[in-house]
Amino acid sequence: MITEEFEPTTDTVEEEASVEACTKCTACNTVCPVARSTDIFRGPKALGPDMERFRSPQEAAVTPGLDLCSGCKLCEVTCPSQVSIQEYIRRAQNQGAREKGRSLRDWVLGRTRLLGKLGSMTAPLANFGNRNPLFRVLMERFVGIHRRRPLPKYQWLTFERWFKRHPRPVNSRRKVAYFYGCWVNYNDRRLGERAVAILERNGIEVVVPHQQCCGIPAVVNSNMDLARRYGRQNVRHLTPLAEEMDIVASSTSCGLMLKHDYGHLLDIPGSERLGAKTYDIMEYLWMLHEAGELDTDFQTVPMRLLYHAPCHLKSHGIGYPAMRLLRLIPGVHLEEVDEGCCGISGTFGVKVEKYDLSMKIGSRLFEAVKAAGSDYVLADCETCRMQVEHGAGATSAHPLEILAKAYGHG
Amino acid sequence: MKTDVAVIGTGLSALAAARTIQQSGRQVVLVWPGLSSLYFLFATVDVIGYPTATSTEPVADPAEAVARLITREPTHPYARAGIDAVHASTRLMLEWFKEAGLAWEGALNRNFLLPTATGTPKPCCLAPASMTAGDLSRPEPIVLCGFTGYRDFAPELAASNLERQWGAAAVSAVRVTAPGYGPDRLFTSVDLARSFEDATFRDAVAAELRERVGDGVRIGVPGVLGLTRPNETFAAFQRAVGHPIFEIPTVPPSVIAPRLFDRLRKHLQEAGIEIIWAAPGHAAEVTDGRCRSILLKAAGHELPVEAAAYVVALEDWVDGAFRAGVHTVRDPFFHQPIAWNKVPTDRTAESLFSTQPFEQVGYALTDRLQPADENGKPLARNVFCAGGAMAGYDPTGTKSRGGMAIATGYRAAQEALAA
Repeated sequence: MITEEFEPTTDTVEEEASVEACTKCTACNTVCPVARSTDIFRGPKALGPDMERFRSPQEAAVTPGLDLCSGCKLCEVTCPSQVSIQEYIRRAQNQGAREKGRSLRDWVLGRTRLLGKLGSMTAPLANFGNRNPLFRVLMERFVGIHRRRPLPKYQWLTFERWFKRHPRPVNSRRKVAYFYGCWVNYNDRRLGERAVAILERNGIEVVVPHQQCCGIPAVVNSNMDLARRYGRQNVRHLTPLAEEMDIVASSTSCGLMLKHDYGHLLDIPGSERLGAKTYDIMEYLWMLHEAGELDTDFQTVPMRLLYHAPCHLKSHGIGYPAMRLLRLIPGVHLEEVDEGCCGISGTFGVKVEKYDLSMKIGSRLFEAVKAAGSDYVLADCETCRMQVEHGAGATSAHPLEILAKAYGHG
Repeated sequence: MKTDVAVIGTGLSALAAARTIQQSGRQVVLVWPGLSSLYFLFATVDVIGYPTATSTEPVADPAEAVARLITREPTHPYARAGIDAVHASTRLMLEWFKEAGLAWEGALNRNFLLPTATGTPKPCCLAPASMTAGDLSRPEPIVLCGFTGYRDFAPELAASNLERQWGAAAVSAVRVTAPGYGPDRLFTSVDLARSFEDATFRDAVAAELRERVGDGVRIGVPGVLGLTRPNETFAAFQRAVGHPIFEIPTVPPSVIAPRLFDRLRKHLQEAGIEIIWAAPGHAAEVTDGRCRSILLKAAGHELPVEAAAYVVALEDWVDGAFRAGVHTVRDPFFHQPIAWNKVPTDRTAESLFSTQPFEQVGYALTDRLQPADENGKPLARNVFCAGGAMAGYDPTGTKSRGGMAIATGYRAAQEALAA
């Protein structure tokens, strides 16, 4: 028995919750979009904290079904005890892949930048192939990409090359570095152009530093070692800039990697300084607004818009800045379609064995989107947008597009 | 970010506070460090089930029993909230449930006596309409129905306990098969609830159940009748079986809680209330006795939330409220050691089922529910406390889970509006 005489010299109150903080309450299992949609998945509690007790760095206890975790992180968002459930699952996944090897498909899907380079170099051909039914059957058979999943269109002119020719603004109050990510660079340059235009409109000079893939595709394809390599490169390239300016990202998941996962999941030394200076672009613009620095001379945008909050946005812990910003625009009728995870989870819903599950997870969202009938479904995450377009036949856009409209760009 | 009032917490007290403030027309932001136990434990709003923690005679009239408790214990959270808040918060929630499309029943002048999953009669004040046919004051015989292979509800155990403890009407048990769920499969309430939304599955279960039970009985099933469309699922199942049906909340994960919680959350969001997910409290910036902002631990950096007033409606141990060290317990905002015993073993009682001292831990309060220092002075004039983070808040003994939450949430919100 411990008595008053027993006085340790320090009294530490742990800041970070350990696996021991899991009270087995099962809240994570109840919110998990995968567990809600299939019973072949044993849920985040079993695969994360439960199994973690049997894992050691030297010895792997790889549980079947780990690959069914889509990586949405809703378990961590909802955990009453703030346990890093997802990180345990990811580490175990990575350990399993190290032992058993990765499939060609997962190897490829983890390398978005390589895919993007090849895709944009061969843009017309790649896009033809990605839409060719025969090619897609072969791709399903030999690579494991589901034939019905629409693949992103590649563009010949990358954002990087576009920006090199983009004239610098004459006057600017400050500078910001833009982490555009693979999506903007290879698939949606327009979004990047919009981001630049909006920032410049507000007197901010955009700097586009040399950058690598954020690493999240590698993380979710059980290749944390590759993700760490990418992350280290980004930390090396971006940290010196972070001393002078803020960094903004227009993709929810890229932003979360820079802010949080480099330090917490990948243990990259020195990443905290980068994370502390990284903002989601909508978060950043809202901060400008609260500081009275956002140009709110908006044109009327008479549109009915639905907002879908990406799961990873919830993990940012910043609320929904896009909704706050868009509500400043006259004419905008904005509602949230609050039906949880869309199901695609990056490359998860692309895979042949997960496509059906991914569509099932998103089915509630699709129904709600169809029922609401709006001009656009907005989401800050590119794969959410792909999934909503595919599953609900809706037109989707990044919230920035609406802001750009309000500033008179298209 | 800026707002009129920031409510920190995800439990019933936080929801009641947010609703109260929203109805006044002020802007609310909900800060959610992680879900509260509401999400996995909760099923009913129990205002007061027993007059004291040790009595065994259930309360018949909750309003009167709370009034008496307030006179007897002037520092009890109910006394701090006041009897008016008890009445007002019950009205608030019933109106809200109705507006949000949740079928709930109950009133402050009576308790239902509903069976638990282990067959204990439990007094509760407000309950989902899908549970109230289980009221043990009704005379019809009861059949409790379980599912083969489902481990979270044993109808035989519940039936034998109910007969022994209650004994007024015949209680029997039956197990039916849930198509697709064999004994070799591991499944939970969530899986069953999802399956019950499928008409083929539901009708197959109903058909077998209809054959197995006699006339004139009511049937208790584990609370798995639907996850996202409970009203329709319940009605369709009851129609197919042809007997009055009642749900019994299961052990976590209880589906009844997410149904309520998800709906209320959506309803708040539909009303334009923003939720900041995954952001535990980190510090409060206090100058001249007023809280200027609270700092949240967002990904990568701190997120300051500036509000005119704050309602701290956290639980005591879960959802990011207090953290315990060997000798002290600290709160996430003021970083004050919560005045409390220094010997760790004094935190728990020997018996698991007796009142646990750690449940009493919480902020010392002023009369206006402001967290107070050891001299009884508010730590910040515009911060108000509700729910489990209040000192002496322990709803277990008197079966006041839910009731204490909404009353204190309502009262703290009123104070925040007046601040």
